[in-house]
Amino acid sequence: MPNPITMPKFGQMTEESAIVEWRKQEGDRIAKGDILFTVETDKSVMDVEAFTEGTLLKIVVPPGVSVPVQTTVGFIGSPGEAIPAVSAPAPAAPKPVAAEAGRAVPSAPPAPLQRSIAPSLQSPLTPALQPAIAPARFRISPRARALAERCAVDPTQIKGSGPEGRIVEKDVQAYLEKQGYDKLRISPAAKDLARKEKVDVLSIRGSGDDGRITVADLQRALAEKPKPMNKMRQTIAQRLTQSFTTQPHFYVTVSVDMTDLIAYRNQLKAAGAPYTITDFIAQAVVQCLQEFPVVNSSTDGKSTRWHSHVNLGLAVSIEGGLVVPVIQHAEELTMLEICNLSKQLADKARAGKLTPDEMSGGTFTITNMGMLNVDSFHAILNTGEGAILAVASTVKQPVVRDDQVVIRSMMNLTLSVDHRLIDGALGAQFVNAVKAKLEDIELWKRLTS
Amino acid sequence: METFDIVVIGAGPGGYPAAIRAAQLGASVAIVEREQVGGTCLNWGCIPTKALIVTADLLTHIRHAEALGITVSGAGVNYAAMVAHKNKAVQQLCSGVRQLLTANGVKQFSGTASFVDRNTLEIGAGNGATRIGAKKIIIATGSTSAMPGFLPKHPRVVESRAFLDLDKLPETMLVLGGGYIGCELASMAAQCGTKVTIVELLEDILLLLDPDVRHEVRSHMENKLGIRILTGKPLEKVAADDHGVRGQCGDETIEAGLLLVSVGRKPVTDGLKPDAAGVKTDEKGFIPVDDFGRTNVANIFAIGDVTGRTQLAHYATSQGVTVAETACDRKPRRNETLVPGVIFTTPEVALVGLTEEDAKRQNRAIVTGKFRFSGLGRAIAVAETVGFVKWIADAGTDQLLGAAAAGPHATELIAAATLAVRSELTVAELGRTIHAHPTFSEAWMEAAHAVHGESVHAAPKRKK
Repeated sequence: MPNPITMPKFGQMTEESAIVEWRKQEGDRIAKGDILFTVETDKSVMDVEAFTEGTLLKIVVPPGVSVPVQTTVGFIGSPGEAIPAVSAPAPAAPKPVAAEAGRAVPSAPPAPLQRSIAPSLQSPLTPALQPAIAPARFRISPRARALAERCAVDPTQIKGSGPEGRIVEKDVQAYLEKQGYDKLRISPAAKDLARKEKVDVLSIRGSGDDGRITVADLQRALAEKPKPMNKMRQTIAQRLTQSFTTQPHFYVTVSVDMTDLIAYRNQLKAAGAPYTITDFIAQAVVQCLQEFPVVNSSTDGKSTRWHSHVNLGLAVSIEGGLVVPVIQHAEELTMLEICNLSKQLADKARAGKLTPDEMSGGTFTITNMGMLNVDSFHAILNTGEGAILAVASTVKQPVVRDDQVVIRSMMNLTLSVDHRLIDGALGAQFVNAVKAKLEDIELWKRLTS
Repeated sequence: METFDIVVIGAGPGGYPAAIRAAQLGASVAIVEREQVGGTCLNWGCIPTKALIVTADLLTHIRHAEALGITVSGAGVNYAAMVAHKNKAVQQLCSGVRQLLTANGVKQFSGTASFVDRNTLEIGAGNGATRIGAKKIIIATGSTSAMPGFLPKHPRVVESRAFLDLDKLPETMLVLGGGYIGCELASMAAQCGTKVTIVELLEDILLLLDPDVRHEVRSHMENKLGIRILTGKPLEKVAADDHGVRGQCGDETIEAGLLLVSVGRKPVTDGLKPDAAGVKTDEKGFIPVDDFGRTNVANIFAIGDVTGRTQLAHYATSQGVTVAETACDRKPRRNETLVPGVIFTTPEVALVGLTEEDAKRQNRAIVTGKFRFSGLGRAIAVAETVGFVKWIADAGTDQLLGAAAAGPHATELIAAATLAVRSELTVAELGRTIHAHPTFSEAWMEAAHAVHGESVHAAPKRKK
């Protein structure tokens, strides 16, 4: 009896994953510990090893299809062994969510934006992306399909005249005639490329002499073809949409005078201390969250939930997206510990090595665009959290002190809150408390010496 | 002040076709030229050099005719007569161009054109100056040989233009610069009996070619024509007097009767005053243009060598016609980008499109196929078996991306390859196309078969 290979569970929160690449082919000998395939979870890519030895008899789940954890993705056994019947998984490609049901739910195909993209999403030319629930079964004769493929046209655009709308060869011929296919001008290499990449040549406007379709036109069409987002972007899209559409946002901004703190930090740095400005902000936030526990809570709209620990998320921009590693129980840590931990987590994030558990459980998030030269910005809440703090750049500004205009280094902090949980007055008190701490040099002298 | 729809500055291989095309489209057109119509190409470049080179090649053929069964004695060079033939060819073509301009109603002005503003040009200077108005202006002033400042000014130190006016060849000649102009004239002089040494600062001559192609040319030039080629070292301490020219190359002192300088070309904009019209020039003096040949000033275009793009007559002609149509308010078209290059060395070389070196730089996956003329019936029959042709194709799509040829008639053969690359044919299609036998062109078909390892007329490659 062959051993099934299942999709492992990578972390508390992972409900489904996609195989990026099979590292073994069907028929390959497998030893224990061989890397079978790589998997993309919500936020990272990992290798999966074999636990048994034998021959890779069958690959059930191809790369790029997201399936629930524990799904059988292949079989290892002795050559010739019968493989149990497993239905091919319903692809969850357009469905980004780590679903609540823990089951890949096939979704309806997205409506094509325009003809040129239709083949990539709907056409039987691309079985990998074919939606599991098709509007009606697509019927076409082998000769008709071959003709359509030879001409590089999308057969789903053709009306079939056979039984149950089955497309036969003469339907394709009539369609080609109606579309003026014989007048279509296309370079030989462009046509070969269209066949290879399954692009409908009728959907392409040629830029060559007299509208001749060139390789450059094909490459443009290919570049414009919708491509599935990677798992990380899908997660970002899903989480931000959920937060922004279900949690009513409210924003409040304060301007913080950073002049003294920067001078003090430079003093510390000269003496060899590792602190960055972000570390001061993190520390100020951790303290304020303990003073204003409502800001460190969350709601589903019917009940509120207080969090006894401050689990501080720090948004880190990485290649192709962003991740939010979380410093668990930040209130139990010293400033130096938070400083070191946030550095480690940011390095791991940039290296793509964060584990799913290091990215979950956050109760409040700081997002810092200080290095990107922005005056201020409004952050979107991390789903489930009650507030997020957006840190803008510190810039020298003319400000009024004792009725005199002076130059100070100013930084805007913008707090986004879930208004169901936190009202304007509380939000204002909270950001002003953070501001007060940042401007209180005596506090930092106590905390850092 | 007389005003024209289009004024073209410069009547070289870019300018005069632009003027004629604009006139064909119904525009009132004037062309301004300060020297000879036909420009560098016709008077001091492509045409006169070919008149001399082809004659020198003929001499080589005659000297080798014995092997084919023809007895020849007393074949020799009368260089003055060769030059006379060259001058006759140039004059015939010049007067042809003048007639074409006249027949198309293009008004010809003689003198140096200077911008007064973006719609006005002054021709000539001082009392004889005339002003003309122009709705649109096409700059086609070309380029001229660069003469590095460290070289002495002396009649024995010449660039290509002065070289062509010599009435006799020196016994020994030093060529500074191993680009195509230097190599062509070196091949020609060597075949006429001159001892030639080429000094090139870079690591090899003809660096725009792939290594296998330039190796083919270089070894023939060295071994069969007896040309010395010194690369990777500068020529220093150049001095010239009435007895000859001397220069230091590494540890060696080289003496020769003449120094031919061919180290590149610089734009001609002296007297043009582009600033007066607000036309930008770059740090080297070239006039940058976009893909449509437009300068930074809306009604002013530029074509050919002065734009600093590929400096070839046929590219200028193509730009001239395209830009003339755009200037006459036809639907703007981008300039063609596929420019074949031909080099009249011995053996001839030609290339088009992507080279293997380009592909390497672009990190692009390619496949290549080569076929040597020594495997071709026609080549063996006429005893011209040096060299090969080569295809460069996309590894994924089989599209023909480039070609090179070194050997007999390479400069003619490249036309078929250019058409195939521009038409985006695939290797498979080219290979299936019937090529007439026995011709040199068959080599393209054979090389296409070689891309897929399906050569009929070459032994299969040994498996590595």
